[in-house]
Amino acid sequence: MTVWPDESVVPGHAGGFDTVDMTINIGPQHPATHGVFRMALTVDGEVVMDCEPYIGYLHRGLEKLSEANDYRQAMGFWDRTDYLAGMCCEGAYCMAVEKLAGIDVPERAEYIRVMMMELSRINSHFMFLGAFGADVGSFGTSFIYAWRERERIYDFFEEVSGDRMFPTYFRPGGVAFDLPENYESRIRWLISSIRQGIDDFDGLLTGNEIFVERCRNLAPMTVERAVNLGLSGPVLRATGLDWDVRKAEPYSIYDRFKFAIPVGVQGDVFDRYHVRISEMFQSTLIVEQCLDQITEGLVLNPNLPKNLRIEKGECYVRTEGTKGEYSVYALAKGGNKPYRMKLRSPSFCNLSALREMVIGSYVADAIIILGSLDIVLGEVDK
Amino acid sequence: MTEIIIKPYVPDFGAELERLRPVEYPHARAAYRMVLPGVIQTGADTVIAMSRKSSLWPMTFGLACCAIEMIGSFMSNHDLDRFGIVPWPSPRQSDVMVVSGTVTKKMAPAIKLLYEQMPNPKYVISMGACATNGGPYTEYDRVLQGVDKIIPVDVYVPGCPPRPESLLDGFMRLQEKIMEEKKMVG
Amino acid sequence: MSEKTATGHSFKQVPNSALTEKLKRALTGIEVEYRETSTDVDLLVSPANFGRVVRELNERKELSFDYLRNIAGVDYVKEGLAAVYHFYSFKQGHAVQVTVPTPLGAPHVPSITSTFAAADWHEREAAEMVGLVFDGHPNPKNLLLEEDLRIHPLLKAHPLQKVEILQGIEENDPGFKF
Repeated sequence: MTVWPDESVVPGHAGGFDTVDMTINIGPQHPATHGVFRMALTVDGEVVMDCEPYIGYLHRGLEKLSEANDYRQAMGFWDRTDYLAGMCCEGAYCMAVEKLAGIDVPERAEYIRVMMMELSRINSHFMFLGAFGADVGSFGTSFIYAWRERERIYDFFEEVSGDRMFPTYFRPGGVAFDLPENYESRIRWLISSIRQGIDDFDGLLTGNEIFVERCRNLAPMTVERAVNLGLSGPVLRATGLDWDVRKAEPYSIYDRFKFAIPVGVQGDVFDRYHVRISEMFQSTLIVEQCLDQITEGLVLNPNLPKNLRIEKGECYVRTEGTKGEYSVYALAKGGNKPYRMKLRSPSFCNLSALREMVIGSYVADAIIILGSLDIVLGEVDK
Repeated sequence: MTEIIIKPYVPDFGAELERLRPVEYPHARAAYRMVLPGVIQTGADTVIAMSRKSSLWPMTFGLACCAIEMIGSFMSNHDLDRFGIVPWPSPRQSDVMVVSGTVTKKMAPAIKLLYEQMPNPKYVISMGACATNGGPYTEYDRVLQGVDKIIPVDVYVPGCPPRPESLLDGFMRLQEKIMEEKKMVG
Repeated sequence: MSEKTATGHSFKQVPNSALTEKLKRALTGIEVEYRETSTDVDLLVSPANFGRVVRELNERKELSFDYLRNIAGVDYVKEGLAAVYHFYSFKQGHAVQVTVPTPLGAPHVPSITSTFAAADWHEREAAEMVGLVFDGHPNPKNLLLEEDLRIHPLLKAHPLQKVEILQGIEENDPGFKF
């Protein structure tokens, strides 16, 4: 509430035009919330005083349904959590089942998995660029630029596995089938097209004065506060801490590739954008190194049992998902169904920090801050 | 006594008569007739139905993964703009609601409210398996088993998620449905 | 496993025995059981000692666990509920899992939101999913379920809903009557 005018302006008549804080509901259906997410902003004029996020509009019961289904059937729910990058989630789930059961993965399958996961990461970051550009102001242009590359990546996924978004191509023990014969030329063309797309976005957004003016110095965050809040992924790397699960706790064959970790300076919205667009280029380098190093061989472990039964096991497998640390806590107590599968999703943890980032900014900036966190509601609501 | 012969009065239009006689088709009546080059004559209900089907404005109502394929069908690769379909965020000015994604019981009152905020004539396309009958998540008790439990649905598009071409097919079936119901406009 | 399927890469997410030594030295007075999962060192702590253990993990220099990753609520039907925590240390680079089993009928665990701000939403979600009660939580409202709903979906006793049978294929279907 603002007391206006105050004593210094009009002595004796202070508070003649008192204001009252208003609560605005940015409801579950809104063109700018990235999915069904609701927040109730309490505003004083245009400045946000308080923010209460409400989630759960897409709570579909991933964990309960995983307990009711086979180890192999449950994967269909897991790749729909981060629905922008289905194969990254499949990779995490398959790794959890493999650690529980003690299954080995052939080398060629590991290379294929890394390629698919990195292409999915690029896919998700293009969606971020499209949606974030739309939030900041270039409504139609950034979406159309993003979808040109996304459709090409989807076409490649369809050639490899048969489905665009949720292929269930990864299996515990490898991948379902081998790559098509012309994969190398296709991927090299795809990488050159992706790099061209990244350059287009760079030219459209990075040097754009409107973009920089809107995004610089908006919601800065320190490393200590970010660590205490449980942030991860590009949001944490933008604060200055160069932590990436692929380098700190390597999984699969990520320790064989050379790639850099882009970091930001002050953790504001522009740094988060810059970290993501630099990460996309690093992902293309990883895919190229995969193509150079890939070996021949089987793609699926030949000694898999027909009915996967796991007597006793517990593991917590960490991976670098597209939005941050995507981890699976798995518990097995006999039978062919898991006992408990918990998803630690990066968007859930990043979103809990929204309230303190948004307080003190304008309403339009609150939308940009939400966009810069890059949440996907399938992960948040499990 | 002179014979009075009464002959029916048939004006002699000559070639015009043949052209103006209504043409009977076995299954339907004629959609339109060209009177002069560039001028057509048709029934009002046909014109209203054609204009309704050619500018369907969907309310952008993406709930989950199907929303990504819906956005993809608005983009340049599978353009929906050539059908006159322009995504519009506000329910008060849109014609179609494309329910794309899983409907949970927490979200159901919002969907009902948005449906009632749309002005008539309105249509609903239920896109994907989750909106049709709950989809893969149908056994969880917080999931509504199909959006047709709370709002009436015109076209169901199957798939998980349906390809953009499937959504285009769904829109074209909706256009055919609008043309079929042209006598029922009110 | 044949030679062709051996990858020979190093999967670093394995239990760290050096960490177990450090933990044993730091937590000498407190009753803690040391186990190992496939990927982590696991501490079994009772709810009464949990607050002290978290303080030691956070404040000791050689442990310095400053990042709370995950809180999971697990329903062991006969043995009660359990809360499983995962911590990580950026300075030292090691990770630990802490399991807090609660007795049947008294699912109370002290809340750690004062030390780790990340625990806020994780504890709310674990509370509504299995029914754990976190004492001292500032805002114990439902997060993913509706505000006024008091069910716990992830309990093993909670059933899944039946799939509705489509019209026309059930027995004694009356058909559509005008």
